[in-house]
Amino acid sequence: MAETLKDTPLKAVQLEGLVVLKIIKHCSQAFPTTATGFLVGMDKAANLEITNSFPFPTVDVPATDGHHDNNAASNLAAAAPRAKANTTYQDEMIKKLREVNVDANNTGWYTSANLGNFVNLNMIENQYFYQKELNERTVAIVHDVSRSSQGSLSLRAFRLSPAFMNAYKEGKFTTESLQKSNLRYQDILLELPLQIHNSHLLTSFLHSLPNPVPTQEAQASQPPTLASLSQTPNPLAPNFNSLNLSIDPFLTQTTDLLLDSIETHHTELNNHQYYQRQLAREQAKITAWQQKRKSENASRALAKQSPLPEDEWQRLFKLPQEPGRLETLLNSRQVEQYARQVDGFAAGVSGKMFAVRGNLLPGAGEG
Amino acid sequence: MIGNKRAKKEGAPMKCQDTHILRDEKDTFSRQTVGAYFSCHLNTSQAMVEADSFLHLARPLGPALPGSQPTTAPLNVIIQPQAIFSILDHSLRRNTDSNTDNERVIGTLLGVRSEDGQEVEIRNCFAVGHTETAEQVEVDMDYQKQMLQFHLKANPKEVLVGWYATSAELNTFSALIQNFYGGQGDGTWPHPAVHLTVTTDAGKEIETRTYISAPVGVTADRAADSAAFTPVPHEIRYGEAEKSGLELIAGAKDDKDRTASVPTDIEALERQIEEVLGMLERVSKYVEAVIEEETPPSSALGQFLLNALALAPKVDPEDIERDFNNHIQDVLVVSYLANTIRTQIDLSNRLATAALTLGAGDGLGGGQTNGTGTEGRERGQRGGRGQRGGGGDRGDRGADRG
Repeated sequence: MAETLKDTPLKAVQLEGLVVLKIIKHCSQAFPTTATGFLVGMDKAANLEITNSFPFPTVDVPATDGHHDNNAASNLAAAAPRAKANTTYQDEMIKKLREVNVDANNTGWYTSANLGNFVNLNMIENQYFYQKELNERTVAIVHDVSRSSQGSLSLRAFRLSPAFMNAYKEGKFTTESLQKSNLRYQDILLELPLQIHNSHLLTSFLHSLPNPVPTQEAQASQPPTLASLSQTPNPLAPNFNSLNLSIDPFLTQTTDLLLDSIETHHTELNNHQYYQRQLAREQAKITAWQQKRKSENASRALAKQSPLPEDEWQRLFKLPQEPGRLETLLNSRQVEQYARQVDGFAAGVSGKMFAVRGNLLPGAGEG
Repeated sequence: MIGNKRAKKEGAPMKCQDTHILRDEKDTFSRQTVGAYFSCHLNTSQAMVEADSFLHLARPLGPALPGSQPTTAPLNVIIQPQAIFSILDHSLRRNTDSNTDNERVIGTLLGVRSEDGQEVEIRNCFAVGHTETAEQVEVDMDYQKQMLQFHLKANPKEVLVGWYATSAELNTFSALIQNFYGGQGDGTWPHPAVHLTVTTDAGKEIETRTYISAPVGVTADRAADSAAFTPVPHEIRYGEAEKSGLELIAGAKDDKDRTASVPTDIEALERQIEEVLGMLERVSKYVEAVIEEETPPSSALGQFLLNALALAPKVDPEDIERDFNNHIQDVLVVSYLANTIRTQIDLSNRLATAALTLGAGDGLGGGQTNGTGTEGRERGQRGGRGQRGGGGDRGDRGADRG
C-alpha cells in the first residue's frame, strides 16, 4: 500500500523527443482505436524524466471482421496498462531495456484520446493501479490525436491527486464520504507541466536538416523552373494547420461528446433519485412499523406484558445501497474538460474568422 | 557462381556500368556490381534528406531458390524519424568501458516492405547489445530474438528488415552481422537485409547511409564473413501526424536548455501568424529588391508568387458577411452552451453533496430520527431543484457577460 508518499511531489514532466515521436506514431497508427503504452525513465527530485516508451501488445480481438469490434478493441487496449498479461510483458521488456542501458524505471503510461474524451473510469483505474501498485511517482500522458491533427500538438501529463487516491482506496463514493473528504471533481486529476527535451545528438541532427529560412547563399541561386520550387524538400517547413479554418467538424464532434456526457449525467441523476425514493419509502415503512410497535408496546404495558423489542426493524427492513458518485464525478470532470476545450477553440477561431473577414472585406471590420 | 549469374543478366538493358569495390582486411576479393542504371530520384515534399539524382544499382543477387526468378528491381529505403531518434538515443547510451572497443552500437530495424519488395520503410528499431574487439564480435542473439518477439506482439504488422550501426565504417564484422540478418531462418531472407549506418561522431555532421548486400566468397568460410555492400537510396519521411510533433521538437533546437514546452492553441496560432508575417516580409523585401534592380529577377519565382496571389478567392461581400455571421454564431453558441452545461453540472454536484447537510444531521442508520431525516432530505431536494433553476440562470447570465 502506498501510504508513504514521497516528500517532494512531482512538479514537472520532461519528455524526450524520441518519446514524443513514439507516442505520436503509435497513437496515430491505432486511431481511432485507443492505444496505450508504457513509459520508462527516471525521476530527479521533483522532475520526472521520461526517456523511452514502448507500446503494449495489441490484443487479439476475436476475428470478426470489419469495424464492428472497434469498440471491443478500444476497451481492451484501454484496459491494457493494468491487465495481468501485460505486467509480465512489461517486466520482461524493462529487463531487456536495462541491458542496453535505457533508464529502465517505470514512470507511467500513455494513452491516446479523441477530442479530450480521456476522463473515464479506465483511465482512473489505470492510473490508480500505477500509482498504487507499481510506483507512486508515475504519470499518465494523454495524446489527443484529433486535436493534434488540427494544429498544435496536444500532449498532457496527469496524475491522480492524493485525496482522490485515498477515496478510491476506500472505494466509497457516497454523498457522505464526499462531504467528509470535501473531494470535488476538480480535484481528481492534477495536471503537470510538460516539457520536451532533446539530447545533444538530436539537436545536432536537427541542425543538420535544411533550415526553413534559406540562407543568403541559397537565396542567391535562382530556381530554374516553377516545378522545382514546389519540390524543394523542406522538412522543418512551418506547419500551418493551426491557421486552418475548419470549424464545423470540431463543433459537431464536441457537441456530440457533450450530449453523451449529459446523457450519462442524467442516468446517474436518475439512479440517484431512484435511490432516494427507495430510501424514503423504506424509511416510511420503518417509521410505520416503529409506531405500530410502540402502540403495541403501550397496550402490552397496560396489559402488564413484557414489551416487545423495538429494534427488530433493523432485521426486517433493509435500506438500499447508495449508488456511488464516482461516475458523476468523472463525468463532471469530463464536461469541464470539454468546456475548456471549446473555450480555447472559440478563442482561436473567432480571432481567425475576424482576420479572414478583415482580409476579404477591408474596412468592414470597423462597422 | 557470381560470374554465371552476371552473365545471365547481361542481356538486360543497361545504360552504364558502375563498379563498387569493397575491400575488407581479410578478403582481398574485389567485387563488381554490374547492371546498374540511372534513374532520377524525385523527392516528395516531405523528404528530409537532400537526395538529388540517385544512382540506382541493381540489387546484387543472393542465393536464389531453384526455380524462382530472382528480382533485380531497385530498392528504395524510407526511414521514419523516430527510428533515427531511437538510434541516436541508443548511441548516447552505449557502454563506455575501456576494455572493449565499443565505438559503435548496433540494433535491429523493423518496418514494412511494399508488396513488390521495392520499397522498405523503416518504422522502428531496437538496440541489441554487442561487444566488439579487434579479433571478434559478439552479438547477443538471444536478446535480439526475444526483443523481436516482444516487438512483434505490439506491432504485428512490422517485420524484421535489417540492422543499424552507428559508424559509417563497413568491415568484416559488418559483413558477418549482415549475413546473419540476411540469412535464412531468423533473417530477412529471401529479401535483402537493409543496413543503415548513422554516424554519431562528435563534432561532425550526422550522416545516414543505407546498404544492401550480396554474398561473396569462394568457400563457405569466406562467404560467412564477407559481403558486397551496395548503397541504396534512402530518404527520411514522416507522416502528417508526426509533423506537429516534429515541429515542436525542432522548436527546441536553438534553445540553450534544449527544452520546449507544449504550446496552447492560442500560442501556436500566434506563432504561426508571426511566421506568416515574417514570410510576407521576406517576400516583399525580395520583390522590392527586384524592383530596385538590386537582385536579379527570377521568372520562376515571379510566376510562383503570381499563382499564390491568384489563389485569393473572389467572393461577394454579402456572402462573406453571411458566412461569417453564421459561423461566429455557431462557435459562440457552442462555447456558451458548453459553459452553461459545465456550470449546471458543477451546481448539481455541489447540491448533491450539500442537500444532506441541510437535513439528516445524523446519517442514515439513525433509527429514531428517521422521519425527520427523510423530511429534511426531501426539503433539501426540493430546495436543490429550486436553487438549480436559479443557478442555471445565474450561469447563463455569467456566460452572457463573458
